[in-house]
Amino acid sequence: MHRYRQQNRIPRSAWQIRNPARQFTIALIILSEIAGFGTSANESGLVRADEFRSKILPILAENCFSCHGPDAANRKADLRLDQREDALKVLSLEDPDAGEFLKRITSSDPDLMMPPPGANRKPIHPHDVDLLRRWIGEGAQWSGHWSLSAPVRPTVPGLAPHPIDAFVLHSLNERGLSLSKPASRTTLARRLAFDLTGMLPPKEQIDEFLKSESQDAVEHYIDQLLNSPHHGERLAMWWLDAARYADTDGFQQDATRTNWPWRDWVIEAFNSNMPFDQFTIHQFAGDLIPEANSKSRLATAFHRNHMTNGEGGRDPEESRVDYVIDRTNSIGSVWLGVTLGCCQCHSHKYDPISHDDYYRLAAFFNSIDETGKAGREAGPYLSVESSTVARALEESDRWLQRRSSEEVAAKASAEPRFQQWLKELWQLAAEEPQRLVAWTNLPVAALESTEGTTLTADSEQIIQASGKNPVQDDYRVVIRPGNSRITGIRLEVFPHTSHTQGRFSRGRAGHFVLTDVKVQVREQGSSQVRDLLIDNAVADTSDDPAKYEGYGSIKHVLDDDPRNGWSIRDADQTKPHVAVFALAEPLLLHDTESLVFELRMRSTLGDANMGRFRVSVSDQAGSTVRSVEQAPIDRLREYLSSGASQADLPDHLLQALREQFLADHEAYLTARRNLDLAARQKDEIASAQKVDVMVLAERKDPRATHVLIRGVWDKPGTQVSAGIPSAIGGWTENAAPDRLGLARWLVSEQNPLTARVVVNHFWQMMFGQGLVRTVEDFGVQGEPPTHPELLDWLAVEFVESGWNIRHLLRLMVTSQTYQQTSVISPDLRMKDPENRWLARSHRFRVPSWMLRDNVLSTSGLLNPAIGGPPIRPWQPPGVWEENFMGRFRYEPSQGPAQYRRTIYAFWRRAVAPTFLFDSAQRRVCEVRSNRTNTPLHALTLLNDVGYLEAARAIAEATITQQNSESDRIQKIAERILLRRLNEQELSPLLNTFNSTKLWYQDHPDDALAFLQACNPNDLFVKHSADTHSSDDSAQLAAFVVTAASIYNLDEAITHE
Amino acid sequence: MNEMPDGRMQLTRRVLLGRAAGFSPGAIALASLSSQTAVADPDRISSLAAKARRVIFLTQSGGPSQLELFDAKPDLHRWAGKELPESVRQGQRLTTMTASQKQLVMPSRVRFRKCGESGATISEWLPSLRNVADELCFIKSMYTDQINHAPAMTHLLTGHQLIGRPSIGAWVSYGLGSDNQNLPDYVVMISRMQRPSDQPLYDHYWGSGFLPSKYQGVKLRNSRDPVLYLRNPDGLPPEVRRTMLDGIGNVNAKRYEETGDPEILTRISQYEMSFRMQTSIPDLINTGDESESTFELYGPDSRRAGSYAANCILARRLMERGVRFVQLIHPDWDHHSRLTSWCTARCRDTDQATAALVTDLKQRGLLEDTLVIWGGEFGRGVAGQGNWNSPEAGRDHHPRCFTIWMAGGGIRPGTTIGATDEFSYNVADTPIHVRDLHATVLHLLGINHETLTYRYQGLDFRLTGVEPAHLINGALSG
Repeated sequence: MHRYRQQNRIPRSAWQIRNPARQFTIALIILSEIAGFGTSANESGLVRADEFRSKILPILAENCFSCHGPDAANRKADLRLDQREDALKVLSLEDPDAGEFLKRITSSDPDLMMPPPGANRKPIHPHDVDLLRRWIGEGAQWSGHWSLSAPVRPTVPGLAPHPIDAFVLHSLNERGLSLSKPASRTTLARRLAFDLTGMLPPKEQIDEFLKSESQDAVEHYIDQLLNSPHHGERLAMWWLDAARYADTDGFQQDATRTNWPWRDWVIEAFNSNMPFDQFTIHQFAGDLIPEANSKSRLATAFHRNHMTNGEGGRDPEESRVDYVIDRTNSIGSVWLGVTLGCCQCHSHKYDPISHDDYYRLAAFFNSIDETGKAGREAGPYLSVESSTVARALEESDRWLQRRSSEEVAAKASAEPRFQQWLKELWQLAAEEPQRLVAWTNLPVAALESTEGTTLTADSEQIIQASGKNPVQDDYRVVIRPGNSRITGIRLEVFPHTSHTQGRFSRGRAGHFVLTDVKVQVREQGSSQVRDLLIDNAVADTSDDPAKYEGYGSIKHVLDDDPRNGWSIRDADQTKPHVAVFALAEPLLLHDTESLVFELRMRSTLGDANMGRFRVSVSDQAGSTVRSVEQAPIDRLREYLSSGASQADLPDHLLQALREQFLADHEAYLTARRNLDLAARQKDEIASAQKVDVMVLAERKDPRATHVLIRGVWDKPGTQVSAGIPSAIGGWTENAAPDRLGLARWLVSEQNPLTARVVVNHFWQMMFGQGLVRTVEDFGVQGEPPTHPELLDWLAVEFVESGWNIRHLLRLMVTSQTYQQTSVISPDLRMKDPENRWLARSHRFRVPSWMLRDNVLSTSGLLNPAIGGPPIRPWQPPGVWEENFMGRFRYEPSQGPAQYRRTIYAFWRRAVAPTFLFDSAQRRVCEVRSNRTNTPLHALTLLNDVGYLEAARAIAEATITQQNSESDRIQKIAERILLRRLNEQELSPLLNTFNSTKLWYQDHPDDALAFLQACNPNDLFVKHSADTHSSDDSAQLAAFVVTAASIYNLDEAITHE
Repeated sequence: MNEMPDGRMQLTRRVLLGRAAGFSPGAIALASLSSQTAVADPDRISSLAAKARRVIFLTQSGGPSQLELFDAKPDLHRWAGKELPESVRQGQRLTTMTASQKQLVMPSRVRFRKCGESGATISEWLPSLRNVADELCFIKSMYTDQINHAPAMTHLLTGHQLIGRPSIGAWVSYGLGSDNQNLPDYVVMISRMQRPSDQPLYDHYWGSGFLPSKYQGVKLRNSRDPVLYLRNPDGLPPEVRRTMLDGIGNVNAKRYEETGDPEILTRISQYEMSFRMQTSIPDLINTGDESESTFELYGPDSRRAGSYAANCILARRLMERGVRFVQLIHPDWDHHSRLTSWCTARCRDTDQATAALVTDLKQRGLLEDTLVIWGGEFGRGVAGQGNWNSPEAGRDHHPRCFTIWMAGGGIRPGTTIGATDEFSYNVADTPIHVRDLHATVLHLLGINHETLTYRYQGLDFRLTGVEPAHLINGALSG
């Protein structure tokens, strides 16, 4: 057994910021000479102060504090057990069992026992009771909670050359454990790449590292990763979760905001290794620091990343108070590791933070020059012209050029087919001119009225209402067109003498109000119907809705809202009128199916049911079903019937026919849609050249801050002034009581928490779990650190290095503890299943954002540009539309913009990106990782188009390089796993490859369809039956499937 | 580590022993299958006798008007157009939409009738529901603390107005686990609407908050992909997927032998379950095997996939398959104007199917251990919004009272709990807070709401929060 020697400070010079590895080694030698051996074993058996903290206090907190803790308002029996002098009232130091405290916790009498029966807590475990008894008997030594006293650098125990290893080995030795052997080079290469940059680096960099055996190579590789611009992105992703960053407001409107320049500020801050104290100060008070400039003001957007609520009917002041509360809580989760949220309503039940303390802290944020409004009224703003936009704009322009020339080419290649079509039209005109007609009145198969109106159709298929005239009604017209194609529906309304004043209906005023229409398909013999989407409605005339309580416009018949609709009151009501509805997709109807056209007349006042009308259908696309003008083929028929010749066809008619043709020509339509998307994308980026970022600024007249009674925004209590909780260290002398003072205090020596909390964040990031597992809670209800001395040593080291993040990370990843293998022996699993003592490396699935970035990187698709306006990765269609009933549409980014890293993905708060199955919610600050393992994750990785596209890219890249199938599969594995598969691994994948290839050889259409599905952005050569042998396609498709399988291997998605 | 109380382990065993050649089960230590994901500690859930095993929550989003649907106040016509007395209003906060307007009483726009033997009052806008009145237990004295949609709905569904807590379905799934290994425990369906909604539905309404994400509700979508990413890409048939999974599973099994990480075994079983879901979910959704009489019972809208009525049929199918918690959401009950056309539209969407669901569950013997809940996030005020006397008028939000109903497992049928004052403004009898509803739902499922807790940020959270919650005793059957 050894004892600690006196504490020794490490020579500061050796730990300087840009400390190269060699100096580091020297420092370690010095360190090990001065440190000597040490142990924390306690020979006297006395419960020491630190044991009080780690063992006794948690028992008291867990079982007693909710009624006998810091919260005076809810304290029972006027007894508090969180302070020694109060606790002594019920403790008997001479005879512990005689004291009221021990009597109560050992009693089984329901009237006496503690915790009481109603508290839903189990009795205190006998082992814990023994511990308490011993503690009382030894004098009830007391000390404050561990995290509330400032960290002091402890002596490094043992001889290990690296201080982290020294501390870890020390606690391992105490438990009869030791470090595992070092991880393999390939494992280390992947582990370091994930931890430091979030994805594998380019192949050359990895190869260089794997080639060399030397320790220098490890350090060189680490430096390469730390100096990579992707390092800043990796750290920023952590910070964005903590900062609840998103691109929309959240809540009802969920309007888009443009705070992304702040995200770029964060990346740049990490890439320039901005010291964490400066990083803090700029984000809290970049507007108040002496050297304030627009860049430092931009940093303050951190505290504006909260959600903003623009819900109609909400009092903006309530929202404003919410934002102040949100900022206050963020200090707790991110810097202090203290749960502050509960103090909004009452004093903390466990930690010494009072209701008043909370509002003193909130006061720092209470005088921001804000109104509580959302959307475009969420100032204060900073106008930012980001230099990153030019690159994105150029990129989108190049893509637009490409799409534009594709569109021209598509039009040209459609021309011969158009000419062919024209020829067929001529022939038709000559042989069956009656078929040259845009609209057909098909026989009505059935007529239904919900409320019992009598509907009858005449020989012209004109339908007349008679009999009962209900206030509201729905009509359904059923037709059976047989095998046919339908692009749109026309509704003609007619006046009639049986109607009021010969107008359109039998209602009092003779007008009609059509509130909604629906089109459905019914299959004979099937119970189900399907709705068809109508995407356009036009009429020859409509009323002005402003004039008639919202009723008038034809557009409103598509919105399923009975409070608006189409009416004709201002146009001539004694003439027929017409409306035309275009289907979003042409409908191909089978002869067993019927079409149902439903007219809903459900206006508020009612009494406006259409009296006479006719329904026709068309098979023509384009303007025929999107305007009420005469259709091009009808114009052609009339033109021909006048005896004119084909050669004289006027240009405008030829052009109309060509447009009609193209509107129905799939190859052209695809090119056209792509062009439109590219154009919209470019417009969107152009509009990002100058954006408003929400930042902090003080208002002229500070607001008074009050304690809010029970946390309710409009129930102010006593007034308080800005200040910090007295239990967490003292205020910096002479500091102004403003945000700048607060930020300086957060990173000052007076604050015992920040350095520990932040070091623990980084430890979690590198090691998978924090030294304090409850990363967000260093309070008495949180878990105590597994390695308290190590945590304190690192915290002091971090501060003394000048809050140097890169130094801290390098220190962590150069340790043996970090570099050991994650293989778990059965013995070790038994002894330490949760890996608290770090006898191995932690093995866990990497976060989904890294998975996406890594497939981009390893497949070669990655667009490594840094910063700029948000992009939209692939996402299944309809996700935004469903939650917003169509108010927002998601259009995935086109071209190179699609392959940007996930940190740039547009983040809608109401519907987070679907491919991130484990992400933080970005609604409040979150700092703990979420590692689940569910079938939905498997489905995402197997079926997300982004992963498939990457699988195709890597398969294509490999297929040209290697000859044998095994070699190709090995090549793919080498890029993803950084190693060759052994025989036992290769053989199942070869099986997959072979049986897949056989399948695709037998099903060439499947192969083509699959390859197309893996080519959403048109990056790869299109395989088609004409241009490629089916063997080629089957071979490639089987490689893509195999590559996708390798991307799904546990090893591929795991931080080993 | 916790043992799984719900038979998941068996699943893993079966998968390991059954499927994919190349596994050597003997080499795999089955005892080590404990997953790292948390499951509620069964000791902490006191073993109350469960009356219900499953829940269907028919969530009516927007705040349905109790004054038009259930809470009949025939004498209100005497107050028509008169200002609401301050003695009734008692400083109730209004939304900023009507804060500057006089509070003029607008009597109900609809007639009521006493229905069934229980004599429950139900509006003529809900003619079908009248037929099942004797199965229902109405709670007319619900109240909430929230006056705006998002906070109130968040409160109703997660027990707290601020975002970040688990939803009630997630709590139930966490507490009870699953009865079906091929489907998620908690399924959410949103009615397909055409009107862009003023109140979007946030995914935190069915989220898992701080609980592990496996407990979050899985949204069944009305699209080619009923669950996100469920469908294989075009040209990749199940045969090819099977051979992929065999390849992946075999290599993973080797990896397990090398690393000893039990998480790999969980991964293998989850990949297998993803494959089974690719069959079980299409089977669930394909209602082609339902009889014609089913569609007649649920009404014409039930033939339209994605409609509320079609979702009601799916809810019953999910109950038959042992899914724990099903939540239907029907939007657009926020009737600030034109109450008559707007509210009747939503009644028409839902009335027949809602009643049919109760009838159908009963006919199939499922109602006795299925709890059905119908309700929204708050009620609507007695004052007209806009000119009270015009057809244009609607009603503003009202938190102080609203009506919900429950039926099925453990619920006393044909009862009405609580009452409001003559204005349907304040609760006059037996106030029931949202947290009381939560406590009661958990109780019926055999869970003590005070002991189903989860430690997060150093605190033991529970669905019902820190204020005391009380069971709605009158609603409980014997």
